[in-house]
Amino acid sequence: MAEASAISKLMRIPVGFATVLKTLLKKPVTVQYPDEQRPMSARFRGRHHLKRYENGLERCIGCALCAAACPADAIYVEASENTNEQRFSPGERYSKTYEINMLRCIFCGYCEDACPTNAIVLEPIEFPTGYTREGMIYTKQMLLEVPPTGTPATPQVTQPGTFDRPIIPFPAIDSSV
Amino acid sequence: MLKDKYKDRIAAIFAKYPPERKRSAVMPLLDIAQEEYGYCTEEAMREVAELCGIDPTEVKSVVGFYTMYYEKKVGKYVIDVCDDLPCVLRGADKFVNYCEQKLGIKAGETTPDGKITLNVVMCLAACDRAPMCQVNTAYHYDLTPDKFDKLVIELKKG
Amino acid sequence: MADLVNLTIDGKAVAVPKGTLIVDAAKTIQNDIPVFCYHPKLKPVGMCRMCLVEIGTPKMDPATRQVVKDDKGVVVIAWQPKLNTACTTPVSEGMAVRTQTTVVSDAREDVLEFLLTSHPLDCPICDKGGECPLQNLTLEHGPGNSRFEYENKQHNAKHVPLGDLIYLDRERCIQCSRCIRFQDDIADDHVLQFHERGRHMEIITLSEPGFDSYFSGNTSDICPVGALTTADFRFKARPWELGSSPSVCNHCAVGCNTTLNTRLDTKTGINEIKRVMPRQNEQVNEIWLCDKGRFVHHYTRAGDRLQKPLIRQNGQLVETTWERALDLVSSKLLGASSVAAVIGDRIANEDAHLLTKLVNSNAKGETRLSPALPASYADLARDYGVGVGFDMKQLGKGDVIVVVNGDVEEQAPVWFLRLRQAVVDRGAKLIVSNHRGTKLHRYAAHIARYEQGMAAQWAAQTDDAALSTEELTKARNVLFVFGDEKLDAVSARGLAQILVGKLVAAGQIGKPNSGLLPLYPHGNTQGVFDIVAGTRHSGNPGVLSVDVAWLVGVGDTSDAPKARFSVVSELFMTALASVADVVLPALSFAEREGTYTSGDRRVQRFYRALPAVGQAKPDWWAVQEVARRMGFVWNFASPAQIFTDLAANVSYYSGLGYEVLAKTESQWPPVGRDDLYYGGTGYENDGGIGVRYASNPSVISAPTLPKMITSMSDLKGPARKLYQTGELIKRSDVMQTHIE
Repeated sequence: MAEASAISKLMRIPVGFATVLKTLLKKPVTVQYPDEQRPMSARFRGRHHLKRYENGLERCIGCALCAAACPADAIYVEASENTNEQRFSPGERYSKTYEINMLRCIFCGYCEDACPTNAIVLEPIEFPTGYTREGMIYTKQMLLEVPPTGTPATPQVTQPGTFDRPIIPFPAIDSSV
Repeated sequence: MLKDKYKDRIAAIFAKYPPERKRSAVMPLLDIAQEEYGYCTEEAMREVAELCGIDPTEVKSVVGFYTMYYEKKVGKYVIDVCDDLPCVLRGADKFVNYCEQKLGIKAGETTPDGKITLNVVMCLAACDRAPMCQVNTAYHYDLTPDKFDKLVIELKKG
Repeated sequence: MADLVNLTIDGKAVAVPKGTLIVDAAKTIQNDIPVFCYHPKLKPVGMCRMCLVEIGTPKMDPATRQVVKDDKGVVVIAWQPKLNTACTTPVSEGMAVRTQTTVVSDAREDVLEFLLTSHPLDCPICDKGGECPLQNLTLEHGPGNSRFEYENKQHNAKHVPLGDLIYLDRERCIQCSRCIRFQDDIADDHVLQFHERGRHMEIITLSEPGFDSYFSGNTSDICPVGALTTADFRFKARPWELGSSPSVCNHCAVGCNTTLNTRLDTKTGINEIKRVMPRQNEQVNEIWLCDKGRFVHHYTRAGDRLQKPLIRQNGQLVETTWERALDLVSSKLLGASSVAAVIGDRIANEDAHLLTKLVNSNAKGETRLSPALPASYADLARDYGVGVGFDMKQLGKGDVIVVVNGDVEEQAPVWFLRLRQAVVDRGAKLIVSNHRGTKLHRYAAHIARYEQGMAAQWAAQTDDAALSTEELTKARNVLFVFGDEKLDAVSARGLAQILVGKLVAAGQIGKPNSGLLPLYPHGNTQGVFDIVAGTRHSGNPGVLSVDVAWLVGVGDTSDAPKARFSVVSELFMTALASVADVVLPALSFAEREGTYTSGDRRVQRFYRALPAVGQAKPDWWAVQEVARRMGFVWNFASPAQIFTDLAANVSYYSGLGYEVLAKTESQWPPVGRDDLYYGGTGYENDGGIGVRYASNPSVISAPTLPKMITSMSDLKGPARKLYQTGELIKRSDVMQTHIE
């Protein structure tokens, strides 16, 4: 009994080597993050982005409903008034300060749900990282996406009467399709 | 200034009302103002307010409420068409469209020659004979495009 | 009560006074009938139709004129075939009301659907969003969707400045006329009206300047939608993000209860006041606030607030530490043979008490009230003031209100609203006597005029029948409201004495609603006077010469004593501070707690709402630190402890304490709860309604009349206007165009 177990114990060594050798030839399952990234589900909630309209105006109107919906109290918004000479968003109001504390954020996406203009979107393309606590507070400039090519950044100078309303109604859902 | 130009008429108007109820005179005074300036200018409203001892806002409110006080320059003839519900049931809305088309202006505007102003107003108490209109003080009933064309020719002459 | 009327609302029995409207009767049993145009402080108009209910009255047999009963002996109710407005229908005996039936809820749905036909639904950017009656009632009673097309909404101007304080959004307006009725019925400035009719109806103003009223801010509180918003709060914060602290306005003698709404501001990095809202106190300001009290708060976060103590070195004021500044002040005080403290009349009672206590430890210590003039008559105002149970709401038919030498609208705006209601709505007799016209002249039954500065002479010599002893004796109550405009100390006291004489002669002393009501310049004139008056104080404003003077919150007063060494505690570098030897940075009322005593002797607490600016400290702390360095064993940890000491030392305040002052009582109408649609966005009183201390009866005796004054000394009360240039108001951007 004792001898047999000694042999089987010895046998484990080549078996072990064989496993190592087998694995050496296999492609590893880990990736070299962040140089290399795995594709995420399209619905994955990564870092927040503040979206723009096609003409470059910001979608965010500074209503702070995202901050109200946030269960972690991670969002801080201060609003100010648009003028035609300095227009950031359609309507009268835009967000002057928009900050998200990524350390507090739990990526629940409630802010997306609360947003009346679809301005804030959690997208699976970037993940907040940083070395300092201060650096993890993302400011509006960090969150705002770049204007579409060919459109000016905000603030823009606009014609009076063109952007009077803050909320462009969503197109009716076509139930026939 | 109305105060100086129509001194006697204003005094006669005020004489009709108790001295502590001077605000009652606001409508006859606006009549004078409209007669003088053609319409109720902001200046005129302020003058009337001062005469009655009330705030100009209250005078403007009266001017806004009554359709026969005008707040902008009107033509020699003002055509008021009623488009309240009973009149619309007898085709007043289509008639207003025809008037606009015929005169080449929108309701509330005056023809470029300054002759005719078209207004859409509240009830003129002649629902039974709609579509109808009031030209200055005269009523015209049971209007059709033909009748209106003739009316316009008539007015343009005068 | 004999006049109670019994009715049932949804089967629940209610007994309310005769004349009560159904909507209020329902409110007493927490049955919330939704309203937009109705406001408990305004006359009902029944414009919005939101309060439609089913109303029935007992069926009468036409033959016998007897109430019909069914087989079981229950009174048969004759229901009216159509719905009726609960806000315009007074209750009647045996009436039955149904508020929860399908017919009623259908009507509510329809009314809301109509109200929303052209409402822009821009709640996300609306300043009212979150505390909006239209939002709340739509959620509670409204239809889930609309049969009107979104694209067919009528679009109107969205940003119409009515004045430079109030903006109008025409799209949001539901034409309830609350603002117009407030201006007409309460403020009596008819500067808002409807224009046009039907769908084109809109609010206009044509006054110069626009919306020319001292009470314009209140319209934004009672606006049931976001149509009227203040320029000051525009896009500043959402209502749910705001912190709120109860406070008391200190800009005039009324002592309006306020709530300070605060929030962090990234520009300054600390909390700041975002808006000042009225806090309901039916005995003081009801739910109103004047525009000065509402918009003047910006000085609390002005960039030029003093942040560090300063001492004079080589002729220059240089920044230093508290340690060094306090050491210097205490050493100077120890070596001084004569000391004076001049205490501004916006300083909290606690600070005034502690400084008075310290200065009076010096054998030649003297304390003074600044401005000095009110000190000449404040003792009379205290001892012959209105009774403990005084309430302007009770003034009405049979009462005589005499306003002498004061402009109540300019100098105590909210008292103007309340006095006006006593006269116009409840039939009190108003006598106005002044050297110039005031707004109260409009309602006066009797007007007297005299030369500027001659108020006392007029009062002494007048043979006006309306002011004769017989007339005043006949009156139910006599209230003398008086000011010191253009008077010197002798004639101001003389005037007060003559008025007291009239009260005594007419036997009107000792009644709750009779007495003197002074138009003091600021919010704590009475309080500071009460404290300094019990000690060596000088009501006599000659120029004083002392070794060390400590001036607290006096602004740029002309009655500063001559001093070899002066200490100034201030918020800003005033002219007086710039020539001082030590300047100590003080805290504003919003950054600390304390108490104020209003002109009608109501002691009220205010609470801390903001963190301190820089190294600024409350005045009581600085005084205590100096006292400790001088060898006193003082261990007051908070204003509450100082107030206890104050109550033990100043007899008038005995029995008072922070707990007593923090007491509230239920108020009618209920304002500031969840039912914003009913009373507006003013706040419920959760900080205490304050206590009026009793005047001292032993002092009451026939006063000596002053000699007739022939010459005027230099000190004369200014003709105070609400918006005159001042250290505080000039720091409010929104008020700039209003400063005279």
